[in-house]
Amino acid sequence: MPAAEATDQGSSAVASSVRYENATKRYGESAEAAVEGLNLEVPAGEVCVLVGPSGCGKTTAMRLVNRTVELSEGDVLIGGESVRKRDPARLRREIGYVIQEVGLFPHRTIAENIGTVPQLLGWKKERIAARTRELIELIGLDPELGERYPAQLSGGQQQRVGVARALAADPPVMLMDEPFGAIDPINRERLQNEFLRLQAEIRKTILFVTHDIDEAIKMGDRIAIMRRGGRLAQFATPAELLMAPADEFVEDFVGADRALKRLALMRVADIDLWEAPLAHVGQATAEVRAKLAGAEVPYPLLVDSERRPLGWLSERDLAGETVPARPDSPLGPLLDRDDVMRDALADLLQGEAQYAAVTDRQGRIDGVLSVEIISEFLASPKAKVEENSAVERPRG
Amino acid sequence: MPSLGALALPLAKVGEVSEGFFHERNSETLPCQASSSHLFCFGWAKENIDSFATPTVQQLELVLFSVLAGFVVAIALALLAHRRRWLQAPLLAITGVIYTVPSIAFFFLLLPVTGLGRDTVIVALSAYTLQIIYRNAIAGLANVPAATRDAARGMGLTERQILWRVELPLATPEIVAGLRVAAVSTVALATFAVFVNGGGLGSKIYSQSNLTFPTSIIIAGGIAMLMALAFHLALVGIERYTTPWRRVAAG
Repeated sequence: MPAAEATDQGSSAVASSVRYENATKRYGESAEAAVEGLNLEVPAGEVCVLVGPSGCGKTTAMRLVNRTVELSEGDVLIGGESVRKRDPARLRREIGYVIQEVGLFPHRTIAENIGTVPQLLGWKKERIAARTRELIELIGLDPELGERYPAQLSGGQQQRVGVARALAADPPVMLMDEPFGAIDPINRERLQNEFLRLQAEIRKTILFVTHDIDEAIKMGDRIAIMRRGGRLAQFATPAELLMAPADEFVEDFVGADRALKRLALMRVADIDLWEAPLAHVGQATAEVRAKLAGAEVPYPLLVDSERRPLGWLSERDLAGETVPARPDSPLGPLLDRDDVMRDALADLLQGEAQYAAVTDRQGRIDGVLSVEIISEFLASPKAKVEENSAVERPRG
Repeated sequence: MPSLGALALPLAKVGEVSEGFFHERNSETLPCQASSSHLFCFGWAKENIDSFATPTVQQLELVLFSVLAGFVVAIALALLAHRRRWLQAPLLAITGVIYTVPSIAFFFLLLPVTGLGRDTVIVALSAYTLQIIYRNAIAGLANVPAATRDAARGMGLTERQILWRVELPLATPEIVAGLRVAAVSTVALATFAVFVNGGGLGSKIYSQSNLTFPTSIIIAGGIAMLMALAFHLALVGIERYTTPWRRVAAG
């Protein structure tokens, strides 16, 4: 049974540790094992990313946990209890399972899909309905989508439902096999950010498989790099992996741009952002000019009544009496507080913008970022402290 | 229909021996049927339409029982072969061979076992439905997306739960399509029941001297076609009703 091994944060979510003890999986008579003598411990409440080249056994290793692949030798323990001792079907109902293709039941509504495991566990109807409503809201979907069928949802929406379905029975462990692999890059980034926010709240123990080292560094509290033949090459925090790779294979796999990748360890929220003078439509331009005088950012940002950015104002815009509704310059890249630094820098460079507006979760202006600001921050002592502490302790 | 005429020709000759044929007909309409140039005698039709009721009901029963029996057996075979892959090809071959046996010959082959009457017909007609329903069921089950199966298994459904809650519901469209084809073709085949005293609309096609009196054939044939159409529409309706998720447009 999953022990309520609470995390450091003392959250109320139930999470269990996962330990591989010399876990091995061999298929038939082949000399090379799919997974060879894996020894790994994932502390409760952490995200462990299994990453490696194709055929390295990362997916197989993940599947050993819920016995969708059976162990040849060794053991896997969840919360200290061996998976071998449990009936496979019952075991799986206590483990969240998300796969790349999602695999939603096409003949069931979204609500019915989400309620699958609770129903198997015999929950009462009202409880299932309440939990389903809660989850649909949690994944950021319109409640009325609960009555639709999967075919009526977009790929990104289906993927979210897949995550909700896995969370339905509040399992202590979750397995995710390239869950964002089939999504386009823009939405993938968004889903990753949302998932990280979610995990910060619920703190489940998650085994996450990906072939993308950048995703691993972004998502993982700890990363397990595997090489072909199912052997573990290194198991470390992202920072340690980048600053001290164990061998040549790990070095190659992480990539030559290790220094640049370190930018993924920090978030936009870590920086002290600059402020742009804000302007509203119809405001007197004289007022705006006054604000410009001592501002850190030399351009005013047009925002709506909710403080949501609409565009940048140029000299021409300020020529008249009042601020026009349509600014000269487009808004350009819009950054999120929770973006990792690497993605933010990429967006800045991509957008060929000097300054980019940073918004919070509700889309309201938080501050302004530029390449200059980033480089200043990286040189500061604060950045070094952040990086070094990330080596010992995973992001929290 | 033309092929039925060709088959019935020798048997009509046999029937003509019994003079009873001519006495069954109403003397008032004798002029219409006496002349062989008339294709359809409305007078006779109006007078004798009631005599078609019982054969129609018999036909309906034959089709319903046969398709139902065939469905049960075919699904059982499909479920068996779904788990044991090696059975799939042999079963497909066997049901296929059964389908190639000519209907009337099949009836006569069964006579020593089931005797004259309805049972023989139902056994034979059920056997004919096996191939299409079995094949469609297997295809339907195989078409369940692998990811859906993987997700179902990974979430903790047992094999049996996967079959009943995921695979069979998703195979419903193909299965119902198979039932539809089976029902429609069984309506046509059931007309041969008359040759082994099985009743049905065949008695209105073959028992009378049809070459000189097409009216009866036309009415019986018309009823059979309407019955086939009714089965088709009913099963299309059932398919729509049981698969609401297919009716909605893709997002």
